[in-house]
Amino acid sequence: MRLPSSPGEWLKVVLPWLLLAALLLLPLGGLSPNIMKLLFITAVWTTTSVAWNLLGGMAGQVSFGFAVFYGLGAYTTGLLMHAGWSPYLSFLAGGVVGAAASFLIGLPTFRLRGPYFVIATIGVTEAVRVVMNNLDITGGSSGYRILETRPFNPLEHYYTAIGAVTVAVAVSTIITRSRFGLALRAIKQDQDAAADIGVNPYSTKLKVHAVAAALTAIAGGIYARRAAFFYPGDVFAFQTGISILLMPVIGGIGTVWGAVLGGVIFGFVEEELVANFPNVHLLLYGSLLILIILFEPDGLVGLLRRLARLVRSGRDREHPGSKNSEQVLWGSSRAEGR
Amino acid sequence: MRPSAGRVHLRGSEITGMGAAALVKKGVARTHQIVRPFRNLTVLENVQLAVHYGRHPVARVAQAQAQAMNALKLVGLDAKAGQLASALSLGEQKRLEVARALATGPDLLLLDEICGGLTAFETSSMLDLLHSIREGGTTIMYVEHDMKAIMTVCDRITVLNFGQKLAEGKPDEIQNDPSVIEAYLGKTTVGGVPRA
Repeated sequence: MRLPSSPGEWLKVVLPWLLLAALLLLPLGGLSPNIMKLLFITAVWTTTSVAWNLLGGMAGQVSFGFAVFYGLGAYTTGLLMHAGWSPYLSFLAGGVVGAAASFLIGLPTFRLRGPYFVIATIGVTEAVRVVMNNLDITGGSSGYRILETRPFNPLEHYYTAIGAVTVAVAVSTIITRSRFGLALRAIKQDQDAAADIGVNPYSTKLKVHAVAAALTAIAGGIYARRAAFFYPGDVFAFQTGISILLMPVIGGIGTVWGAVLGGVIFGFVEEELVANFPNVHLLLYGSLLILIILFEPDGLVGLLRRLARLVRSGRDREHPGSKNSEQVLWGSSRAEGR
Repeated sequence: MRPSAGRVHLRGSEITGMGAAALVKKGVARTHQIVRPFRNLTVLENVQLAVHYGRHPVARVAQAQAQAMNALKLVGLDAKAGQLASALSLGEQKRLEVARALATGPDLLLLDEICGGLTAFETSSMLDLLHSIREGGTTIMYVEHDMKAIMTVCDRITVLNFGQKLAEGKPDEIQNDPSVIEAYLGKTTVGGVPRA
């Protein structure tokens, strides 16, 4: 393995571990229940953001249908815990159900491209929500309640959510650096050209969809256990699918840390938005989505990269011939997906 | 894509309508008339992907990169391996497509107007490259309008005119075939002036 050669590279290696250590130590400082809840929900949202980014950001398949997996994870966890399963096994089972559902949805929808695929995912979300609203075994539109005999432990919920987001980031990073990740980036750019060199776009998309769905379903299960009560109009809502899509777009689509950044920002502001603008928060989401796509398609990560390039090019003008000039020429796209 | 009539066979087995990815596994690779590099991937990554998913897939990244570098050396792009594909000139992008196709390990290489849009120098160097690929044992099926390019590299030529086969044979046979001369230059009148 090659060791990092510059301070910048060392920072890239060390920073995630420092961040994880900080997140693990944070609750030991005695945080208020509200802050614990905020951090928990932020970690859950970030998990879904990182998961969606695998399909939407890396493979370029924009799906509005991730609420289906989130909801299936929630209901699977609820039903299995009710049947006496351990919560952690229930989360994993939720992930398996999510992955299985992703195949059922992906088999027909990945035959479609562009806007037709997008419309199909919206249709699937609405169809599943309507079915769940009328399914007696899960309480229909009245919702489902998880009853736990153990006392409520906010720390356990927090660490479970941090575990999920860590796994999601690790899986995404591994995929990004693998040949599978390279294939996803090729499919995003030109799936016919990718097929011409042996990549099977259809099966590759099915595989990444399954991974993303499993992670999203696990996040849904973790959310459901803490919430203890959930209903189709919440977990299967179209709005949930929009939120999952919006986060990586805010942070920087196609990059793991962009999805994390988007999830963190969304997690922190979402509750405030819903509380203060209950009737217009969806309008705000939509407006934000349009503004980002129009003015900063690479999200906050793209903005930060541009600023870093400006700083570096300014430094190069002061010190012409420094080795950074080569990095400036290569631009941000070289680091896409890393 | 399925043909409107007829069947396609490769070494005795039918490949009619087979998908592009499956054809690669059978040993058939292609380039495009209008180049389609993965513009946001580096030159090396473009070819590395073909090694990973080609006919004899290579899982290890280091091994795939080494094989990709060999293909880039063959087409003369090894010095640009770290650059984004979008930074290459048209001639270089055409060479990248050839390297990418070769990296899949084909027995049959399909080239679609590979010299189209190239300068005289680029065309000449591309034809040299095709010679070296052919000498390496890879069969090339080459669609081209440039007669000079065709006559330089082809052993066997089939001439099509509006979907109909006009002639088939060796370059000197094709050069002297009256139907080909008529199709390309027009009919000769009594005064010796070609009539379109």
